[in-house]
Amino acid sequence: MAASTTPVDGQFWRSTLILRLQNRNKSESYAFKDLIAFHNRLFESSNALRAENLQLSVQNEKLRLEHSASTDKASSDNSGNGSSKSPNRNEKVQVLEQKLLSLQEELTEMHRRKGENAQQLVDLNLKLQEKERQLQSKEASFSECQAENSSLKRDIQDYQTNIKKLENLNQIIRDEYQANQLAFAALEEKLRKTQDENRLLVERLVRYKSKDADKMNEDNENFLSGGSHNTTSSLLHTIDGLFSRKKQAKVQKELEDAAKESRAVSPESTFGDRGDLGANPFFASNVPSKAISKFEAHDQEINAVKWSSLERLVATGGADRKVKLWDISKGGQHESKGVLVGSNAAVMSIDFDSTGSLILGASNDFATRVWTVSDHRLRVISSEHSGNLRTFLCVEMGEREKRARGGFISRRFPLRAAPAGAATRCWSQLSPPPAAAGSSWVCRRRQSYVLSSVR
Amino acid sequence: MANDREVLREIWDGRVPVCFQLDSSEVNGLQAPDPYYLMVPRLSYFPLVTDKVRRHFQRYIHPDKHDAEMWVDFNGQPLKWHYPIGVLFDLHIPEISLPWCLTIHFDKFPEAELLHCSSREAVESYFMSCIKEADVLKHRSQVVSNMQKKDHNQLWLGLQNDKFDQFWAVNRKLMEVGSDETFKYIPFRLYQGDEPFIQRLVKPVTEEGQRKTLFQFLQEIYAENASKVKVTTHGVEPPSDTPLQWMSEHLSYPDNFLHLCVAF
Repeated sequence: MAASTTPVDGQFWRSTLILRLQNRNKSESYAFKDLIAFHNRLFESSNALRAENLQLSVQNEKLRLEHSASTDKASSDNSGNGSSKSPNRNEKVQVLEQKLLSLQEELTEMHRRKGENAQQLVDLNLKLQEKERQLQSKEASFSECQAENSSLKRDIQDYQTNIKKLENLNQIIRDEYQANQLAFAALEEKLRKTQDENRLLVERLVRYKSKDADKMNEDNENFLSGGSHNTTSSLLHTIDGLFSRKKQAKVQKELEDAAKESRAVSPESTFGDRGDLGANPFFASNVPSKAISKFEAHDQEINAVKWSSLERLVATGGADRKVKLWDISKGGQHESKGVLVGSNAAVMSIDFDSTGSLILGASNDFATRVWTVSDHRLRVISSEHSGNLRTFLCVEMGEREKRARGGFISRRFPLRAAPAGAATRCWSQLSPPPAAAGSSWVCRRRQSYVLSSVR
Repeated sequence: MANDREVLREIWDGRVPVCFQLDSSEVNGLQAPDPYYLMVPRLSYFPLVTDKVRRHFQRYIHPDKHDAEMWVDFNGQPLKWHYPIGVLFDLHIPEISLPWCLTIHFDKFPEAELLHCSSREAVESYFMSCIKEADVLKHRSQVVSNMQKKDHNQLWLGLQNDKFDQFWAVNRKLMEVGSDETFKYIPFRLYQGDEPFIQRLVKPVTEEGQRKTLFQFLQEIYAENASKVKVTTHGVEPPSDTPLQWMSEHLSYPDNFLHLCVAF
């Protein structure tokens, strides 16, 4: 293809190349080809001749040896037998004997081979028989397999027909179901219609009944008035009078109602009636103007006050490092219930737990303490706050997991806006809860925190 | 496709006269053996043609060395058996006077320079691997891998027995071109003195889709030195406007490579 597609000017390089190749062959091979072929032939023939020469010389040597042997024999025979042909015959006999020997050897070899072949034949026969037996067994198994196959096929057919039957049955049942459904829908529709009709009828009946009753009433009244004025002229008058009286009564009633209402709502009447304060809803609450009880709780300023949630008990925390409990259940009197000591600096904030059995105080000594209310004993000290506790914004104690959580928040900021370093801190596992307060330690509220704030 | 039978035939018939002589130091006997003259095909390999030579010289060497591997040198330079004879001849062409006198050795195998060639099978496997490599470059190996074992055998036997028709019946398939009328890449090897040969990926067409000539190809390899380069293959200098694709199809050695000898 390359040659055929090359353009005409391309032929130039091609012809140049061919010319060069031909020149090359001329100078490299044609010049030497015959010479070397001739050399090779000479070489071969000289080799052959040399080999032949060698063979001939060997033969020559052998013949010479034989000749010398035969001349020796001849000379010895000459003396004994005198016949010159005996060596020749002797030689012949020897050759024949040799031939015989070799033939015999061949014969024995053949015999041996025959025996071997017979043995092989027997072996092969045996093998053949075995193979046939195998074949038979294979055929038997094959036919068995076929039988099995056909029976399986029959089974499959059976199953298929079965399936078809069941499908038909299924179809029939479905059809029936559908028909029933349709019938049911129709019946339902009918039922609804009937109910509607029934309702209409009942309504109509009621209307008729009421109409009847009205008519009866009217008849009765007519009858009564008719009893006092027997004449027909007076009947008209009475009907007229009846209507007017009815109207009059109605108007009068309306007027009464209106008067009553205006009296109840009228502002002048309320302002005019100032003495009746208790009855007026606008003045239901009032600001206490007088203290029931007043007492000096602490030596120094009071920082925190908290009501117990259960008893009428008040706890106060003061700058004198004490938390005090007061019973104010007896009206104007106060009674000290106990002094809770332990803080090393001013108590800034306090709180009861939800059961009222524990009280928690946060102090300026960076610690928070928990006391039991019943025996005033200090239960827990936690001094994890590194800042200055100022106020508990809210304190709630006790929780499911028996731990209190606390956090700093700065004075007025909500918990979330607290600076990162003062974020809510968790006090893990304040302590094992005191035995006495064990049950009250658990709070029913879902979340509880001990929160304190720090500057 | 390669169908320029005239060129192919000329290439196939290229032969060189060689005179083999036994190294005089290895002669074991009184008489030095006669030199042995032989016409060897350029496309063949030395192990394929030196059986007779070996038999001739075996008689004259020491009996211990009878089974030793035979190797050949020219002017004291061992010849690599795995290069085609034509390449070896072209490489030494300036020093050669015909006939090419080579020296036969049975002793002191130059392990550093030559590979051992234990048998003809070694040559065959090397030859076949060259063909496969060339086909990878030309057709991404699609042709060789689709061939049957008997085709491979036919290639090898064609080369071994110097049967042009037998060889080209199969080799024709290897020279077939695809839809774009060219090979993917041209399998070639550039020899330059004693240096290792150069082999690169070269496409047979230029970027504009034109067929490359030999000169363009040399420019690609040697840049501005291209005009000084003298390329010899098969004992001749191909004209510099010969298309590269045509060269690959027609001037490749039986191993499907273009063996180009370069001189400056």
